Amino acid sequence: MLGLPEEFTADFIARLEQLRIKTRREYAGVGKGTHLSPRRGSSLEFSDFRHYSEGDDFRYIDWGLYGRTDKLYIKLFKEEEDLLTYIFIDASASMGYPEGDRKFASAIAIALAFAYVALAAGDRVMLRVLGGKGAMPPPAFVYGRHRIVELGKTLAGIKPAGELDLTAALAQELISIRRAGKVFLISDFLMMPNAAERALGLFNAANMDVTAVQVLGGGELDGQGLNGDVEAVDAESGERVRLSMGPRERARYREALLRLSREIRVFCFRNGLHYALYTTNASFQDFFLRAASEFGLAH
Amino acid sequence: MSWFGWLGLLSPGALWAFAILPALLGAYLARERPRQATVSNVLALRALHVMRGQRFGGRPRLAWTFFLELLALAFAALATAGPYALTRGAPIAVVLDNSAPMEALTPAGKTRFEAAVAAVDEALGASGAGTATVYLTAPQPRAIGGALDDAGAARAALAHAHPVDAPDDPAALAALLGQLSADRRLGRIIYAGYRPIAAPVPARFQQIAVADPIPNYAIGRFTLSRETFGAAALHASLTVANLSPAPATLKVALEGDGRPLGTEQAEAAAGAAATIEFPRLAAAKVYRAELAPADGFMLDNAAYATGSSVKPVAILFVSPTPADGASLAGIPGLAVTARTPGQYTPRDVAACDVAIFEYAAPKELPQVNTLLVMPPPGDPVFALSAAAAPQVEIANWPPVNPLTGGVNFRLLNIRSGEYFGVHPWLDPIVNGPGGGLLLSGVRGGHRYIAAGFNPFPYLGRGNLPMSILTLNLLSDLAGLGAHSGGYRTGEAWIVPAGVERIVTPAGDRASVTAGALYIAVAQGVYQLAGAAGAPALRAVNLSDLGVSDLQNVPPIAIAPAPLAAAAGESTVRQPLAPYLLAAILGLIVFESLFVYRRRRAAA
Repeated sequence: MLGLPEEFTADFIARLEQLRIKTRREYAGVGKGTHLSPRRGSSLEFSDFRHYSEGDDFRYIDWGLYGRTDKLYIKLFKEEEDLLTYIFIDASASMGYPEGDRKFASAIAIALAFAYVALAAGDRVMLRVLGGKGAMPPPAFVYGRHRIVELGKTLAGIKPAGELDLTAALAQELISIRRAGKVFLISDFLMMPNAAERALGLFNAANMDVTAVQVLGGGELDGQGLNGDVEAVDAESGERVRLSMGPRERARYREALLRLSREIRVFCFRNGLHYALYTTNASFQDFFLRAASEFGLAH
Repeated sequence: MSWFGWLGLLSPGALWAFAILPALLGAYLARERPRQATVSNVLALRALHVMRGQRFGGRPRLAWTFFLELLALAFAALATAGPYALTRGAPIAVVLDNSAPMEALTPAGKTRFEAAVAAVDEALGASGAGTATVYLTAPQPRAIGGALDDAGAARAALAHAHPVDAPDDPAALAALLGQLSADRRLGRIIYAGYRPIAAPVPARFQQIAVADPIPNYAIGRFTLSRETFGAAALHASLTVANLSPAPATLKVALEGDGRPLGTEQAEAAAGAAATIEFPRLAAAKVYRAELAPADGFMLDNAAYATGSSVKPVAILFVSPTPADGASLAGIPGLAVTARTPGQYTPRDVAACDVAIFEYAAPKELPQVNTLLVMPPPGDPVFALSAAAAPQVEIANWPPVNPLTGGVNFRLLNIRSGEYFGVHPWLDPIVNGPGGGLLLSGVRGGHRYIAAGFNPFPYLGRGNLPMSILTLNLLSDLAGLGAHSGGYRTGEAWIVPAGVERIVTPAGDRASVTAGALYIAVAQGVYQLAGAAGAPALRAVNLSDLGVSDLQNVPPIAIAPAPLAAAAGESTVRQPLAPYLLAAILGLIVFESLFVYRRRRAAA
C-alpha cells in the first residue's frame, strides 16, 4: 500500500495511530509537540515557582501563595515539545540470511512502524541504515506522517550486504547526532555478546532512551538448511565451519542462539534499555502491537 | 625375515595390519563432500564444531591431522610386526670376583674390587657393540641382570656390584670359566679376580689380575666352651695365623658386649698358626676379638662369637621316677628331658647328647653316650648280670680316672645297690665285695656306663662326694659342651622354626620363612627374630685361613675349549618397537598441542 510493506494494512495503520512513544527521560525537542521537555513553557505540567518580576504575565501569579506569604510568586510550567527519534537498521550481510526468513524486510517493517508512530504523533524522525547497499536515506529529520511513504520507498531499495562492525558504525553515527532523544536499534545482534553490549552502551552513555529490537529468522533458529555434513560459511566474515548436523546438533545450535539472545536481553534489562525479540515466522502485526510496551510505546 | 641384511621382522604376518591404512584412506577420499551453506553467523556453530571433534566415529576431516593419525596408525602396525635391527658384535662375558679377599687393599689405597671394576670398565669401554653378561663369583658364581644389551649396560651393572665377606668356591669358579671358555658364541671373556688362571690361559680370555701378595694376619677359629662341665664361666679359644714372610707377635683383644675382657698374645713364625686362650670369661651376649697388628685385609682381623653359641648338653632322663631327672636342671649348661620308660621314643634318643636310664633299660643299643642306673634284671640289650645288695661297700677304685677323680669314696655312703657280674665289653671301674659297682665301656664309638647304685637325685652341695661322682660321669659322657665359633660367611643356613626375620650386621631386615635357606654373606652378628621373645644371635665369621692367605693363592686350572677358534662376531637383534612407540607418542602429543592451541585461539 503506497509503497509500504504489505504488513501495513489500513487496520494496522489505524492501530499505529493510537500509539505514542514514551520515554523514560525528558528530552528537548525542536518544536511544539506532545512530549514534556526539560524547558519551561506553557504546558499544564507544573515545574517551579519564582519571584514575580515586572512584565510577568499576571495570569501565572499564585494568589494562594500571595495570601499566605504576602509575596508575589509566578508559577512556572514545563514546555511540551516534539521528540527527536532516531531509528537505526542493521543492513549487514547477516540480515539477508537465511534468505527465506526475510529478516531484513522484517527489520524495515519494524523501522517503518516506529517511524509512523513517531510521525503520527508529530515527532521528528531520522532513519539511518548501517551497512548494506543501495540509496541511503539522507541524515536529516523528517516531519509529518506523509513522509512515511518516502521513507518506505527509500528503504525498499536497500539490500543487506557487507561486514559490519556495529559498535564502530554506531559510534560514527553518534558523532553527527547533536541532540539526545529516542533511539530504536534493529539488528539480528549475531555477534559476540560483548560487542553488542558495547554498541548499546554507546547510546546509554549518550543519555539516549534506547530500544533494541532483535530480529532472528524462524528458520535460522531451527537450523534450517543445516542437515548432514555441512560446511557453514559465515555471511559476513567468510569463516567456514564443518559439521555433521543432526537433530541433536540442531537443538544445541538453537540453544546457543537463544543463549546469545538471552545475554543481550539481560544486558538491556540491567541497563534500563527496552528489548524485544522478533522471530520472522511470527505474525508481524501481532508482534508489534503486543510488544508495544516492550518497545517503549504507549497508547 | 630380514631386509637389506640389517633390518628384520619377528612377526611379518602382522604386516597385514597395513591393509587397513589404504582402506581408511580410500574411505577418507571417497567420503561425502560436505555441502556449503551460507549462514548469518557461525558463532553458534563453533560450539557444535568442537563437539563434533570429540564425537567417536565422526567422518575424517580434511585436515593434515588425519594424515598424522594415519602415520601413527602405520607406526603401530609396524610395531606389531616386531621390527628389529641387526647389529654386529661379539658377546662378552665378564667374570668379576667379588669374594672376601677382594676387599683387601692394594698399595694404591683402593680395594682390589674397586681396582678390578675400574679395569673391567676400561676394558668394556674399548670393546665394540654386542651383548654382555656379567658374572659375580661369591658366594656362588651367578650372572647379574641377564644378557645386557651392550657394554654400556654392563658397565652400569658393574657400578652396582659390591664385594661380599664370603669366600668364593674355586671349583665352581673353575667350572664357570671352563663353561664360558667352551661357549663358541662369546667373543671375549674378561676375568677380574685375585686368583690367577693357570697356564695355558685359554684363547679369548682377558685376565685382569688383582693378586699382589699381601702380608696378612688372621683370626681363624674362634670357639667358646664352658670352663668345666657344669660351670657358668666360658672359655674362649682362638687360632691366629701369621700369613706373612716374617715372624710376628700377634695380639688379640677380646671384648664382651663392648666391654674389654682382656688381651692375650702369641708368637707365630712365618706361615704358622698359634692358639690364644681366654679362660674364665664373664658372661656376655656377643664377644668380639680383634687382632693386632692391622694389615691390608681387615676382614679376618676381627671375629665374633655369641654366648648363646655354647650349646647346652641335652640329656634324656628315662625313669619310672622322672622327678629324679629334674634335679639335674640346676647344673648350668644342661637341658633335661624326662620321660617314663613307656613314653620315650627313638626320636627322643636321637635328639639328645646323653641318655640316662634309671631303673630302666633301652629297647635297643642307644646311639648316644648312655648312663645305666641300676638297670632291671633281664635286660637283653646290655645283658648285665646283677645281684642286689642291701648295703653296698666299695672295695677299690682307680686313683687316676676321669670317672673317679676328686671323689672321696670313703665318704660316699651308698645304702643299697647291686653288684654287676663280669660283662663282655663293660669294664669295672669301681668294685665292691660282690662285683663291679661302676662299669664303663665303648661300643660303636659311643661310651656306656652302668652304675650299680643310684646317684640321683642330684643334691649338689648336699652330698658332695656323690655330686662330684655324678658330674664326673656326665662330664665323661657329654664332654664340655664345646661348640665351634659359629657360622662361616657364604654358608647356607636352614632358617630355624619360629624365625620370621633376620637382621644383618648392617641392620638390614629380611623377612624369611622357617625351613628356607639363608646365605649370610656379611661377617658379624645376625639377629634371628620371631613373633615372640628376644631375638637369637648368630655369629658369622670368615674363619678360613686358606682364604686369608693372600700370599699363596693357588691358580685356577681351566680346560682349554676345543671350539674356541670358531668364535667370532655374531649378530644382535636390536628391537625397534620401542622407538616406534615413542614416535607414536610424539605424534599424538604434537597433534594434541596443535589442536589445543587452535581451539584456544578460536575461543
